[in-house]
Amino acid sequence: MPDITSVVDTLDERKPYIELKQANKSGELACDNTSIAGSMSQRACVYSGARVALNPVTDAIHLVHGPIGCASYTWDIRGSLSSDKETFRTSFSTDMKELDVVFGGEKKLSKSIDELVELYNPPAIFVYSTCIVGIIGDDLEAICKEATERVGIPVLPVKSEGFKGTKSDGYKAACNALMELVGTKEPEFTSEYRINILGDYNVAGDVWLVKPLFEKMGIQVITSMTGDSTVDSISKSHGAQLNLVQCSGSMTYLAKWMKKEFGIPFTKVSYFGIEDLSIALRTTAEFFGSEEMMNIAEEIIEQETNRIMPEIKAIRSRLEGKTAAIYMGGAAKALTLIKGFRELGMEVVIIGTQTGKRDDYKQISYQVKDGTVIVDDANPLELADLLRNQKADLMVAGVKERFLAYKLGVSFCDFNHDRTIEFEGYDGFLNFARELDTSVNSPVWKYVGSKIEDSYPGSSGANKGCGTEESQKMSNRITGERNMQNIDPITLQEESVA
Amino acid sequence: MSERNYTTVNPCIMCQPIGSVMAFKGIEDSMVLLHGSQGCSTYMRLHLAHHFREPVDIGSSSLSEKGAVYGGSENLKKALKNLISRYDPKVIGVATTCLAETIGDDINRIISEFRDEEGVGDERIIIPVPTPSYEESHNSGYIKAVEAIVKTFTLDNSKKDIFNNKLNVILSENISPEDTRELKHIFNSIVGHNSSILLPDISETFDAPMTGDLHKIPPGGTTHADIADMKNSAASIGLGITNDNKAVNYLEQTFDIPSQNLPLPIGLEYTDKVLAALSNISGVEIPDEFQKERGRLIDAMVDSHKYVYGTKVAIYGDPNNVLGMLSLVLENGMHPILVVASSKSPRFAEHAMERVKQVKPDCDVTILEDVDFDTFNDAVQKAKPQMLIGNSNGKYIAKEMNIPLIRFGFPIHDRVGAQRLLTIGYKGAMRMLDRITNTILEVEDTELAAKWSEPESYVPLGENSFHSAEA
Repeated sequence: MPDITSVVDTLDERKPYIELKQANKSGELACDNTSIAGSMSQRACVYSGARVALNPVTDAIHLVHGPIGCASYTWDIRGSLSSDKETFRTSFSTDMKELDVVFGGEKKLSKSIDELVELYNPPAIFVYSTCIVGIIGDDLEAICKEATERVGIPVLPVKSEGFKGTKSDGYKAACNALMELVGTKEPEFTSEYRINILGDYNVAGDVWLVKPLFEKMGIQVITSMTGDSTVDSISKSHGAQLNLVQCSGSMTYLAKWMKKEFGIPFTKVSYFGIEDLSIALRTTAEFFGSEEMMNIAEEIIEQETNRIMPEIKAIRSRLEGKTAAIYMGGAAKALTLIKGFRELGMEVVIIGTQTGKRDDYKQISYQVKDGTVIVDDANPLELADLLRNQKADLMVAGVKERFLAYKLGVSFCDFNHDRTIEFEGYDGFLNFARELDTSVNSPVWKYVGSKIEDSYPGSSGANKGCGTEESQKMSNRITGERNMQNIDPITLQEESVA
Repeated sequence: MSERNYTTVNPCIMCQPIGSVMAFKGIEDSMVLLHGSQGCSTYMRLHLAHHFREPVDIGSSSLSEKGAVYGGSENLKKALKNLISRYDPKVIGVATTCLAETIGDDINRIISEFRDEEGVGDERIIIPVPTPSYEESHNSGYIKAVEAIVKTFTLDNSKKDIFNNKLNVILSENISPEDTRELKHIFNSIVGHNSSILLPDISETFDAPMTGDLHKIPPGGTTHADIADMKNSAASIGLGITNDNKAVNYLEQTFDIPSQNLPLPIGLEYTDKVLAALSNISGVEIPDEFQKERGRLIDAMVDSHKYVYGTKVAIYGDPNNVLGMLSLVLENGMHPILVVASSKSPRFAEHAMERVKQVKPDCDVTILEDVDFDTFNDAVQKAKPQMLIGNSNGKYIAKEMNIPLIRFGFPIHDRVGAQRLLTIGYKGAMRMLDRITNTILEVEDTELAAKWSEPESYVPLGENSFHSAEA
């Protein structure tokens, strides 16, 4: 097995986390560990995991119990959209100060909850704990329990102290909070077929391109967690007969619990790319076993594919043979992206995630070609090395990676919070293809790393004679005159002496 | 929503460590390491990348539960070691977070142990800065880091070397890379080339030219030699007057370097003040270049005065930037109805009030500080300004009020060009005034005919005439 040092320079301790895929070698990539101090991980903390998974619940108050920073940096950064209330886009914090740290923040938190209930009348409050709460020992659970009784709405603790684990633990904390809501209200049925969409955050309105497809098939979508969800719809989500899990890293934990608790089976799907989208629709129809539904699904697949295919083909001809680097938060998105790129004629040369597990990496390894680099919890220097050595034309990742790619002249596509156009559903895939087209084929890349001298060899002044005839003529005059000026004063002086 | 006593809604400030990061990013060949949990560094990297649109690397000691219980010494040492091995920075700033401060890690001791254990030589400078997130704000973090940098570089021999005849220029608040370039140009032009030392200097580090390659540490920043030389300077200028400039005070107290604090040169009069001071200190006449620029600014002010006069504006952001903008707005006859500083500072209100009294004593103005956006929103609803001037976070209010927002300050994450925004000097004042004036013209355009006149015989081409070319 060739050493990965041929494509990346890194700390010895990091080497087990990077693998160059080789034929017949199913690598055992190290993963699912806390980040190495000083390795410059792209990951965030437990709190961030909880925040990204839970924050899109639109009508709840998301109260951050901690110093101001944690609330400042997460104010409306998720990119999730709402079809109704926008409460989730407001940042609430107990803004703990030194005195709160010394004497405890419990009283302030309780009063803060009371005040918010009075002012905003929310259907629920999620209270996120931050690092400091875990140290000073505020009893979040007790306060939330008391508050729930006092104010009459669910006040739910989200145990997300930043240092107590990884981002994945934050997903769990979010799911644990959701569990407190699921099954607390009687669902209303409008169809005999009912599902929940789990692990879709409605970034840029993704869910709105997916939900109608299911509805066309006669299915009632009770809730989408957590993108565009409401406290009410989550509370009734146990009325579903099937959970479709997209972002498996964040929501499988909840799906498993719902299976155990309510007997609702779940299946992992993706709404990205023509193939995965078709699979999602077919699997769902097959699950309900309705012939009619299966026919509708096939109809949708055929019609929609035919509708977008001409443009996809045209774009594909411009993307064919280009190479892609994927660095995602979760493995589910990374996996579905491999297929999406294949549908557009592009080849993946680097693939990595922040939170992938062993099974995820096995699947990834199975999906990619030999010579592809697979990496867990990468850092900027590794990614830069890999982009250079694996010769990627495009990178798909989040904001922190964007400018790194740009500096290396690699085009970039944001498949994270900063996205403002939908990538899911049929039109979403078209959007994705269009974005890749404009990113990869923009004329700006040819200028990156260029010098004036590259286009105009005479322009450095050193290579005289390389310019056009006109500029040569002009140059002769100017340098000639300059020489004369140099000589003139001396001759003048000599004359005056004479 | 008013009448809140316990909850902060939509914060105006960030925490201390990010201010510290911004200061260290203005030092040559330096890296910052946050002693805390992994998320702090990642969130700040995100926040800074959004604004500057540059790669931002910030190390983390990635404190875990074990570290939090038994102390973070092991993590911090490992982080330092890995950071050195990967980035080889000559300077490492170690800023603490709330977690590190609360578990009570003694970072000075840990760093000194690390030096001994790893045999780290004196050529590698490690600068600890205590910046717990539950105290003050990003603004104080900046000031504290700058002080720590100056102290560390001048600590070795507290005695003066050779009098260098230079002028220290020490910022007490973050300004844009373009502003930094303009500031350097002003100082170089008046005091002379290599005759002033600007600290911090983010002109290159947060706005690096694209070359096709990526540096581990972006080149640029105040050089180490220059920072060490600050104790030999003839005088110090602190830029920013709302807070104590701790580095300037330290240099004065320790090395008897006389100092003067001046406002950020934003707007005509504050720029005059700074240029006059420079001219006085250096004994050099103000170059013709600036006299002409000033003339052009006044020309621009005359051109714009009818459009901007009386326009009610609300200004918000970091105190010194806001103070400068207040001054600019007043000079142009606008009505600053609401003036808000993100963080509390000892002299903001006093200076703001003084400026109002000087230029427009009858002006009805509300001055607030240390408030969140929710409180600001209440004040906006009451004051009903016609325009907001401040960072991107005011966009919600501007949208709701259906008034324009002129983006200025930090953070600006929803528009391009934050790193190139020029506000400083006469040139910056012209740019700013043009933006303000053109925005007003855009809103109430009286020069544009409401309808395009067509000859009566005109037959429309149909809907697709334009779009067909686009598709």
